[in-house]
Amino acid sequence: MTRETMIKNFLIFSTGLFLLAFTLGPFIWMLWISLADRADFLVTGKVEYSFSNYYQVLSAHSLHFLDYLTNSLIISTITAVVVTFFSSMAAYAVSRMRFPGRSFVPLLILAMSMFPQISIVGYLFEMFSKAGLINSHMALILPYIAWTIPIALWINMSYFTQIPLDLDKAALVDGAGRMKVLYKIIFPLALPGIFSSALLVFIACFNEFLFAIMLTIDYTAQTLPVGIALFQGLHGEIPWGNLMAASALASVPLVILTLIFQRYIVAGLMGGAVKG
Amino acid sequence: MNATKITIKNLAKSFITFRGRVDVLKGIDLEIEPGEFFVLLGPSGCGKSTLLNLLAGLEKPSSGELYFDQELVASATGKFSGPFERDISMVFQSYALYPHMTVEENIAFPLTNLPQVPAPEVMSAKVRETAALLQIDHLLDRKPAELSGGQRQRVAIGRAIVRNPKVCLMDEPLSNLDAKLRNEMRAHLKDLQKKLGVTSVYVTHDQLEAMTLGHRIAIMNNGVLQQVGTPVEIYRAPINQFVAKFIGSPTMNMLTGALLEENSALYLQADGLRIKLPEATAASLRAKNLKQITLGVRPERLYVKSEGEQNLTLPVSVIENVGPEFLVYSFHKQGQIVVRTPEEPTGDNLNLALDAEHLHLFDEQGNRISC
Repeated sequence: MTRETMIKNFLIFSTGLFLLAFTLGPFIWMLWISLADRADFLVTGKVEYSFSNYYQVLSAHSLHFLDYLTNSLIISTITAVVVTFFSSMAAYAVSRMRFPGRSFVPLLILAMSMFPQISIVGYLFEMFSKAGLINSHMALILPYIAWTIPIALWINMSYFTQIPLDLDKAALVDGAGRMKVLYKIIFPLALPGIFSSALLVFIACFNEFLFAIMLTIDYTAQTLPVGIALFQGLHGEIPWGNLMAASALASVPLVILTLIFQRYIVAGLMGGAVKG
Repeated sequence: MNATKITIKNLAKSFITFRGRVDVLKGIDLEIEPGEFFVLLGPSGCGKSTLLNLLAGLEKPSSGELYFDQELVASATGKFSGPFERDISMVFQSYALYPHMTVEENIAFPLTNLPQVPAPEVMSAKVRETAALLQIDHLLDRKPAELSGGQRQRVAIGRAIVRNPKVCLMDEPLSNLDAKLRNEMRAHLKDLQKKLGVTSVYVTHDQLEAMTLGHRIAIMNNGVLQQVGTPVEIYRAPINQFVAKFIGSPTMNMLTGALLEENSALYLQADGLRIKLPEATAASLRAKNLKQITLGVRPERLYVKSEGEQNLTLPVSVIENVGPEFLVYSFHKQGQIVVRTPEEPTGDNLNLALDAEHLHLFDEQGNRISC
């Protein structure tokens, strides 16, 4: 091994290690505290490890952890499904059909996502109050759909435009209607894009805080990020163990989803469609 | 047999763009006979693919009418049938195979869209029969990505013929193949069309493909039909300079100049080159009283002649040995002049003879002068 490759390998390895520590460090710290019986163990030096924090979080009704989790899952899932459905239809239209303003529509939709959340949340509160929607799942699902649809549309559009137009033509000639072209040809080929956008939308909704804290009032509609933030307020002191256990549990659905979807989010599905 | 006649009446297509209206097709009139292998030939952007898309039902005409047999399938304002209602199939230049489906599923796809989907065993038998015809029956379980270019093209053809369509449309289906494979597939395609007897319309920019495949050829330029005829008709009597130059390789030699009468012979004076016209040609030109013409002559109709009657003398610029014959190039102000000859010429100059029968004369507008 030459000196140059040694230095190169060292730099690659050390940078990788640093990035790994940087991203995983807080996560490991969280897991550590969630398993410790006391948060000040570094000062006192006395510590016992157990799952008691997890048990408490999951069993204590006053904490409403399971309510928050259910709310989060319902709201994020519905949003992801609705957004994926509409954004993929829109992406198909924008990437395939000729209509006036075809290039303008995606830009307009993107422009909508440029408003800071804080600038619209006040008005949303007023609007939803009048409509009687405050503290309901719909109070979050509706703004989440509007908030995430631009990014989903753009992700899907970039995938759809990679699919050759000849495939649509061939399928139309072969007797498939527009809907069949969509679900038999385009969707299967755009699956990586559709899964990526669905996953991103789900994660964004699952983590969202501002709308969730402003538009919901109690555990019947509040989501996990808000719920976990409220742990401290409820008990006067900061229950680090419970907080960290809840945070660790909150990341479980995301980890599972990513593991399931990652095998779909692979490139190379387009091989052999047209002469490459 | 499922042979359909196609009648195209005054068909036009325009697209509206930011830069204004673009007329891609201008008043096309054409009849394609049942069972005919018809080739649309022209340079890129001449409108041939648009015409094919109109035949396919992928585009709507701006004016004019289109009939399959007696049935109106498309008109600008009235009726418009989609591709499937017309019962056409299409082979694309890019193959356009569905990458997530196996070869079997690809070929079976048109059958799954029929109003009455055949039973699985009938469908499978039909797919196998088609695949056997194209010699791809051993590839049915593969995905398109695992196939070679030629195999993919066969799958695309299989998908097009599996449901015995009324009309088969082909959009430059061979241009993505390498030269050797293209020749093989060309012969295969011709044989297949003959066996199936389906009316076929084939779009290409390759004059060799057009000459070898087509029963008849239509040559297009700028959205206008230039000439329709059999390959031999078009090769022997091109209707204008565009057609004359487009058909044949190397292209037809063209020389433009003034006609001069001297010592009771008629000469064409083209930028320093003086060509004595054969007596029969001269007689008919005299009768027409023309001052200026373009003379066209194919490379194989310039005969090297060292003695006797000679019509012109050319300086030799380059000689190419192409195997069975030699191509002699002479660079001239009006472009190059090519002579095709079986013997390697010697000397700096080439004495050539012409024969009246194989000369093509064009007037100042580029149209053929009949002699």
